[in-house]
Amino acid sequence: MARNEALFEAVIKGKRPDVTAIVQQEVDKGTNVAEILMESMIPAMAEIGERFSRNEAYVPEMLIAARAMQAGLDILDPLLAAAGHEPLGKVAIGTVKGDLHDIGKNLVAMMLKGAGFEVMDLGVDCDVDKYKDAVASGAQAVLLSALLTTTMPYMKEIVEGLKGSGAKVLIGGAPVTKEYADGIGADGYADDANTAVKATKAALGLAA
Amino acid sequence: MTGKEILLDAIQGKITERPAWMPFVGCHGGFLVGRTAKEYLQSAELIVEGLLKAKSLYKPDGMPVMFDLQIEAEILGCNLHWADEVPPAVTSHPLAMGKKIVDLPELDETKGRFPIIVQALETLKKEIGQDTALYGLVCGPFTLALHLLGNNIFLDMYDNEDAVLEVINYCADICIKSADIYLDHGADVIAVVDPMTSQISPEHFEQFVTPAMNRVFDHIRSRGGISSIFVCGDVTRNLEVMTKTTADNISVDEQVDMAHLRELCEAQGKSFGGNIKLTAVLLLGDANDARMEVLDIMEKSGRKGFILAPGCDLPYAVPSKNLQAVAEMVHDEYAREAAKSLSAKADDSFDDVELPDYLGARAVVVDVITLDSTSCAPCQYMMEAVEKAADAAMVKVWINEHKIKVREGIGVMMKLGVKNLPTICINGEPTFASIIPDQTTLVKAIEKAAIEKMSI
Repeated sequence: MARNEALFEAVIKGKRPDVTAIVQQEVDKGTNVAEILMESMIPAMAEIGERFSRNEAYVPEMLIAARAMQAGLDILDPLLAAAGHEPLGKVAIGTVKGDLHDIGKNLVAMMLKGAGFEVMDLGVDCDVDKYKDAVASGAQAVLLSALLTTTMPYMKEIVEGLKGSGAKVLIGGAPVTKEYADGIGADGYADDANTAVKATKAALGLAA
Repeated sequence: MTGKEILLDAIQGKITERPAWMPFVGCHGGFLVGRTAKEYLQSAELIVEGLLKAKSLYKPDGMPVMFDLQIEAEILGCNLHWADEVPPAVTSHPLAMGKKIVDLPELDETKGRFPIIVQALETLKKEIGQDTALYGLVCGPFTLALHLLGNNIFLDMYDNEDAVLEVINYCADICIKSADIYLDHGADVIAVVDPMTSQISPEHFEQFVTPAMNRVFDHIRSRGGISSIFVCGDVTRNLEVMTKTTADNISVDEQVDMAHLRELCEAQGKSFGGNIKLTAVLLLGDANDARMEVLDIMEKSGRKGFILAPGCDLPYAVPSKNLQAVAEMVHDEYAREAAKSLSAKADDSFDDVELPDYLGARAVVVDVITLDSTSCAPCQYMMEAVEKAADAAMVKVWINEHKIKVREGIGVMMKLGVKNLPTICINGEPTFASIIPDQTTLVKAIEKAAIEKMSI
């Protein structure tokens, strides 16, 4: 199956009822469920992510697209599992201890999900043990988010705490910079939700 | 001319003799007086103490009385989570939990922390109000609507536009009430701070935010007040719609290119301000980083209608020396000249510039780094003081003047680690920076250097 343009557009525009209807039609027609996901829906989320990076889409646009995507996944997920479709990888994400600001973290989680990752959302105010538990549960990468300059330094403790665990640590958030990420020895850094997906793939050695 | 007059001129779009300077001292005031943000933001006494300290350290032309965007939300029933080094965060959203607008409490100056604000404002007015513009900060209508509705607001902007507009419109009424409290008690400028608008498109800004904000700005103007729209975060795409609101001034965060903002503001006849980097420069950088950053912003922003300010609320533990370096750049034209010379030669390693042979010289070597003693009065007085002291000293003294108008002078300045103009270095050590020492002190310092040298 080539890309279903109507489905692709419906995800980008966040048209939830249209996504549900088109996905159901395709499933009823017997289209390969993995193809529906991989050829039309994931590329649509990638496109909205690119637009976000270019400042052509904003938080509301991302959120309605992700919601439409989820409506499609609600139909596809059980079928994908039954067909033995594997997620791209398993990752965990949370805002670091002391930080309750989760809009950015939620966007990154949605984009990772939209790219085909299994995402463990650890929520807000996460200490190093919470990340360690996630790694023990199979997370190959953990993503740390901070909005505040005062909570950002805690990222270093998490990087230290996860040394030797084999998990990759990626960081992001308004005050975080590439230099800071390099300085504390993080495996990756992203300045928005779109590049977070690319950075996660790169850190895990997956094709872009 | 007082600093307050300079700031009020700048905010009204006039050319000023030097940049106006507005450090956003919020919870950083708590740091200055050794108290947590939680204690500080709940005490009029501590706020006054913190801002008086900031006044003496940073020589500002204006300061906000309170920098906490949760004041209104708290009164309207949002729960707050307090922390030691940041303003509180909103943890519950009444309109997402079944309440209606009519159920929300009334806001007036007796509610929440407004009595603290009013008390602090009135005291500060008496203490420093003569020469310091006092800003009243109100939480902008979009950010306040987000506090009340939670993240649902973003989806509702598509699903339920009218309901979102109703809430934002209500929030504009609240902004007007807050602004009135500040104006009633003598605030000079009202800043409507609306950081969450950095997360929406220009189209959504015009649809949801502009009408509400303009009502607030028009109300402030009708009372003879001055208004500012202030958005922390990257608002590059929204700058144009922001400059088209009826606010007098636009203040922006570090991601914005000031040359671009200047162009847009000139076209709309508005003043503007910003945008020193909070983390990379003020919090984690040193005084020299601050000087270079400020120089760059000043050059891009010019002298017309410009207010120098941090990008947003100052982080709690910003080292004071970095903000003092900013103040020095604002108040001391020689500091600006020194920074300019250093910045122009940043890539030059000055390998060919040699320092005097301090150890080999059979005298005390005094290097005076100046702009040029014939055109800079403090430099001239410093040179004269050194010459007199050399005559009076019991030891032999060699004096060199290094003018930073020439490359050799900048090279010596960099190699000796000199940051201020003028500076006296004795045997290669920067000893007196900017301030000219009295004769006795200088003579003693020279003689002490001679004794140290003989004992090597």
